[in-house]
Amino acid sequence: MILIKALLLYLLACGLGVADEAVLTEIAARLAKTPIAQGDFHQYKQLKVLRKPLISTGSFTYDQSKGVIWKTLTPVVSLLLVNESKLLTGQGEQAVPAAFGKVFKAMLGGDLAALTDGFNIAGTDRKTSWQLELSPKDEMLKKIISTMLLSGDTELRWLEIREAAGNVTRISFDNVTHPLQLTEEQEADFERLSP
Amino acid sequence: MNVYHPKLTAGLWLAGMLVICILGGQALTKDWLETSFLALLPSNEQQPEIAKATRQHNALLNRKVVWLAGAATSHEAISHAQKLKQQLEQSRLFNKVVLEFPQQQYIRQYRQLFLYRYQLLDAQTQAILATNPEQLIRQNLEMLNSPIGQMQAADLERDPSLIFSRYFNAQNPVKLNLEQGIVVLSDRQQFYALLLAELQNERLQLDKLEILSNLVDGATEQVNAAGGELLVSGMPLFTAHGAESAKQEISTVGIGSSLGIIVLLWATFRSVRPLLLSSLAIGSGLLAALVICVLFFGKIHILTLVFGASLIGVADDYAQHFLCDSFGEQDWNPRKGLKFILPGLTLGLISNLLSYAGLGFSPFPGLQEVALFSAMGLLVAWLTVVLLFPLLLTGFKFDHQPGILKLTSYWEQHWPLWVSKHRRGLSLLLTVFIAGGLWMLTPQDDVRLLQSPPAELLRTADKIRSLFSMSPDNRFFLVSGQDQADWHQNEQRLLQRLDMLKQQKSLTAYEGLSGYWPDVNRQQQNYRLLKQKLYDSGLLEHYMTDLGFEQTAVKAELKQFASAESNTLALMEWLATADEAKQQLWLGCDSGRCQSTVALTGISDAGALTELQDLPGVVWVDQVEAVSSLFARYRIRASGLLLAAFCLASLGLGFKFGWRNSVTIMSVPVVSLAVSLAMLGWFGQLFSLFNLFALLLVLGIGVDYGLFFFMAGDRRASTSLGVTLSALTTLLAFGLLAISSTEIVHAFGFTVTAGIVAALLCAPLIGLKTISSE
Repeated sequence: MILIKALLLYLLACGLGVADEAVLTEIAARLAKTPIAQGDFHQYKQLKVLRKPLISTGSFTYDQSKGVIWKTLTPVVSLLLVNESKLLTGQGEQAVPAAFGKVFKAMLGGDLAALTDGFNIAGTDRKTSWQLELSPKDEMLKKIISTMLLSGDTELRWLEIREAAGNVTRISFDNVTHPLQLTEEQEADFERLSP
Repeated sequence: MNVYHPKLTAGLWLAGMLVICILGGQALTKDWLETSFLALLPSNEQQPEIAKATRQHNALLNRKVVWLAGAATSHEAISHAQKLKQQLEQSRLFNKVVLEFPQQQYIRQYRQLFLYRYQLLDAQTQAILATNPEQLIRQNLEMLNSPIGQMQAADLERDPSLIFSRYFNAQNPVKLNLEQGIVVLSDRQQFYALLLAELQNERLQLDKLEILSNLVDGATEQVNAAGGELLVSGMPLFTAHGAESAKQEISTVGIGSSLGIIVLLWATFRSVRPLLLSSLAIGSGLLAALVICVLFFGKIHILTLVFGASLIGVADDYAQHFLCDSFGEQDWNPRKGLKFILPGLTLGLISNLLSYAGLGFSPFPGLQEVALFSAMGLLVAWLTVVLLFPLLLTGFKFDHQPGILKLTSYWEQHWPLWVSKHRRGLSLLLTVFIAGGLWMLTPQDDVRLLQSPPAELLRTADKIRSLFSMSPDNRFFLVSGQDQADWHQNEQRLLQRLDMLKQQKSLTAYEGLSGYWPDVNRQQQNYRLLKQKLYDSGLLEHYMTDLGFEQTAVKAELKQFASAESNTLALMEWLATADEAKQQLWLGCDSGRCQSTVALTGISDAGALTELQDLPGVVWVDQVEAVSSLFARYRIRASGLLLAAFCLASLGLGFKFGWRNSVTIMSVPVVSLAVSLAMLGWFGQLFSLFNLFALLLVLGIGVDYGLFFFMAGDRRASTSLGVTLSALTTLLAFGLLAISSTEIVHAFGFTVTAGIVAALLCAPLIGLKTISSE
């Protein structure tokens, strides 16, 4: 992914990153570089007050310029559309939670340039996989999210969000592909995000 | 007039001016200058409660300044805004500068209202519960499973059904994106960090307004230099701009007419004494006018001073007549001169005072000030000429024939002849001109003409509105009821209709207290609704168990619900938790009536909204429309006033000089008025109430000129000089008003200028006739 590469260069230039520069360069080199990504997700949410996890599955679509479609299929069908400034759910337009629209889109697209604004990044790179740990700089976001873990190979495969309140969300991404074009349905969904 | 005691009268004058100076010393040390545009408007005459609601509605609006710091990334935008915030705080202009989202306040509000969570339901939740409670459960699952449901998940422990979370979010219906606790808006190209500032005082003094303008300019430059963009808007900026342009105009008009008078007087008299004397007359007049106005009104509006500056040209008339008279006779002395000109001067003063008194009858504080200011200025200038000049002009004599006298004599002799020679063609031309102009005259009564902000300021305001639509419109609804319950019912009915209109996109948002605070009956209904649909039906228990709550948590929730049955939240308690914008919606209860306002945002179909005032207890308040219609009413009333003044002047002249002569003299103002109106038509100028007040002045000046020429007798040459000089100075003053950027000031100047030119052209035709007929 081109953007990750750009980001890493930026990090090196500014001396902002705390990640080992070699590691980040390697990770960037490994990631697939296309403007569109899609796949299935499996989300496992463990809330402190609940005895059992909330489990949902569905599909996602990432488009570099348009944002993200997050389509939950089980346990209830719902659609979430998000870009940097707008968030649409089944209950209408919502405020994009602190730095989240950007984070969400950036993680799926590997556009870590946007993430450096709000997070300290540390990383490790092994033969088969890499891992990044993000901790928010923003005081407000810190109150909600303590850390986020990303891991993958040529794709982002695994995301874990640890909330300050003790709740944990784990999302795994499967069957990731990189089509050249969006389907009509995807186009139509993104259309709803444009102002 | 046999009483001629120059020394005694001069002493009188001196004593009077001394009193004025002493009074002035006291009055002008306080804050005496008014700059707010709203101070010019009449307060609502018929309904004091609407006036009160309007004041409260505007109070916050008039202090609020919205700043948007823009940049290519939100990070940069925020850093611009942070620097800006420091600057604003250092300026000490504002009592509140808000950049970070007031999180503590929200947490406090959450805690206070949480106790009443089973009584407080938003309209949407009410509807879902009543019709399809399973839908609520479904929406909860959707939210909890969503990758962004962290906030809701965090609330789940306290608020398992998430009904309070829904209520709390509905209280803040505008969805704003926060970054580092700062509101960030975006228009696809730029990111903007929002900063809200509130001025300490609704009515800023002139120097503070200047500081504000400089602050805006300086900050804009800084942000631009850093590669960003700064958008600033708010009522105070419009006020600041108005005050600034008024200040410029005062100096343009003041300096322009002073210079003109100096040049004219010097060219005519070639002596220092007339110059000093004229300045003395004008200066005393202006000083007295200012002091008396401030004493009478408490404060004087800056726009009054713009008109006041034009008074220089009018106040000068009396002095010039006296001085010019010295050319009328070889063996001239002040005693003879005064004796000759006093009747004309006095009649002139009376007709001028009458026309200004007409202005005083208008309901507009601004015009009342102008009327008193001008009347006092003229009166004191006249007194100075009559009381003081005889002493100071002792031994005054000219030994030259001024070139300008030759010119005006030539003009006075040949112009009437030329006119009389071509009278057929000229009268036809005049008739066509007047008829055509009047045909094209279209009245305009828009209050917005009072203020003419520059296009750039308006563009910025529009851009901000497109990014950030939180500032309410200046139109609103006033809702009342006999008691709180009645009021609540009335407002609820209105809000339901507004919701329908919102869905039809007639407006983008509305805000009424009853939407947030259910009254006591409603609170009980809400509780019963929850009990019936969610708690007693077992739906909540089912949902909580399915979701994975412990059995103890389910029991605890049921118990909390049962024990909260008798809770009620009073309106005052609710208001205490709300922010200022919501608090000011409540107008209070008194003498068997409770009232509130409903604020509206993004109105696109005002017609649909006005229909809602048929609802009980609902009044549509449109300040702009109300004042505009007031303008229209008073335009008609002022036309009557003009007619009355005309009749009065004709009658007065008729008694003194006979009916025939009265008609002759009055022909000058009649033609001037007609020409002035026709000019407005031909040039497509604004024709409103204010032009009519200007026409009152034209009437006064027209009568003056007619009178001077009528009474000139064998002193036509010196009269012609006096009238021409005074016309030129008046023209200069009002001509300069015509360049004003404020529409009404411009219209005023244009109307008077056209009228005076016409009067100047007509007046010499008068005396001549009487001479030739004798």
